[in-house]
Amino acid sequence: MAALSAVVSAKLACTAATSSLSWKGGRTTTATARRGLVSFRSPRFRVFCAAKAETVGKVMQIVQKQLALGDDVKLAPESKFTELGADSLDTVEIVMALEEEFKITVEEDNAQSITTIQEAADLIDKLAAGS
Amino acid sequence: MHHRLLLLRRGAMSIPPPPAPRMPGVAGGRLFASLPPPPPLQSPREVHVWYLCPDELIDRSQLDMYTELLSPSERKNALAMNGPRLQKDAMLSRALLRTTLSRYTDANIDPRSFEFKKNKFGKPEILWQSDESSMEWPLHFNISHTSSLIACGIAMDTPIGIDVEEKKRKTVKSILSLARRYFTPLEVDYLAKISDSDAQQREFIKLWTLKEAYVKALGRGFSGAPFNRFSIQLETNSRIQISKATKVCNDSASGCDYLSENWRFALAELNSSYYMSVCIEDNSRGLYSLFFLM
Repeated sequence: MAALSAVVSAKLACTAATSSLSWKGGRTTTATARRGLVSFRSPRFRVFCAAKAETVGKVMQIVQKQLALGDDVKLAPESKFTELGADSLDTVEIVMALEEEFKITVEEDNAQSITTIQEAADLIDKLAAGS
Repeated sequence: MHHRLLLLRRGAMSIPPPPAPRMPGVAGGRLFASLPPPPPLQSPREVHVWYLCPDELIDRSQLDMYTELLSPSERKNALAMNGPRLQKDAMLSRALLRTTLSRYTDANIDPRSFEFKKNKFGKPEILWQSDESSMEWPLHFNISHTSSLIACGIAMDTPIGIDVEEKKRKTVKSILSLARRYFTPLEVDYLAKISDSDAQQREFIKLWTLKEAYVKALGRGFSGAPFNRFSIQLETNSRIQISKATKVCNDSASGCDYLSENWRFALAELNSSYYMSVCIEDNSRGLYSLFFLM
């Protein structure tokens, strides 16, 4: 039981933005049912996790450095790069810094989808999990 | 046949007064000293660029009047920018565009009444209302700004892209690492041969603005036209040449059919502190000269 719950909690601390767990309902999930994690009646549930807070924090640091933002500038996960004053050269430098920091490669079509700090963090975690 | 590139500086933008109330004996007072009408765009080979420096526009009431020209969504987008300085730049950028377009329609169209749409890559274009069909002008525009300068390029009958950058803009990453990641091998070789680091940095900025101007002229932007699929070469006779990077194009899944080489480029210095690149489509043959008029 301990091993099962360890697996469950590891999966719930998921690293991808759209990872999903589907549990086939039934007696095999008795142990987790006692913990209130799954209903017998619903054969599947999905868990969506946002990128780790740590990733978001690192992205914010990189953006703050690249755009030379003062400490008075409050960054939020939904902050848009363009609204922070980033132009295309800033954006490519941010992408490069993220690639180096997280050991990933961002293809151009993915780069298009990074417009906010949250989106960058989501992509990073997705790529980092997949590699 | 000549290409002409006019660089024109505005200290203030002229704004027609709002429609005067119907009161006899009251003239709608002019709010600003008006600028003379711009020289006409004489041919599709002519590009005019108007630019301003936001730091020079500090009169609050004047800024409020420019803001009043914007559409509600433009105002909202400008206010979403982080901080008063970025908000001001965003407002001025739209005001510059609207007032410039108005002047190139012989002031027949009020700056406030322009509407815009975006193409599928997000490039803004004029949206002509159907009841203005007699007022449609084949005007193309593109805007670029740095933190200290906003430029608006206008052309007739040809798509246009423009990009400005501070000559001395420092990058966080090294020039060659940026070039290796985003440029073509040809361009990396060109930059690698430059031993003086300041000169290398300036050449990088030139290439960057030229490439940006091109992808903006194409209407695809940076993500729609990756930089490593085409090379720009600065030749010693000041000719600027563009070519597809055939190997990368052949290797890529999506190919490079959207890339064409029939584009003309101009590279200019503004105020001795900026590089500005302009790109327009080139459908004619023959020799060209480029003039820079201040």
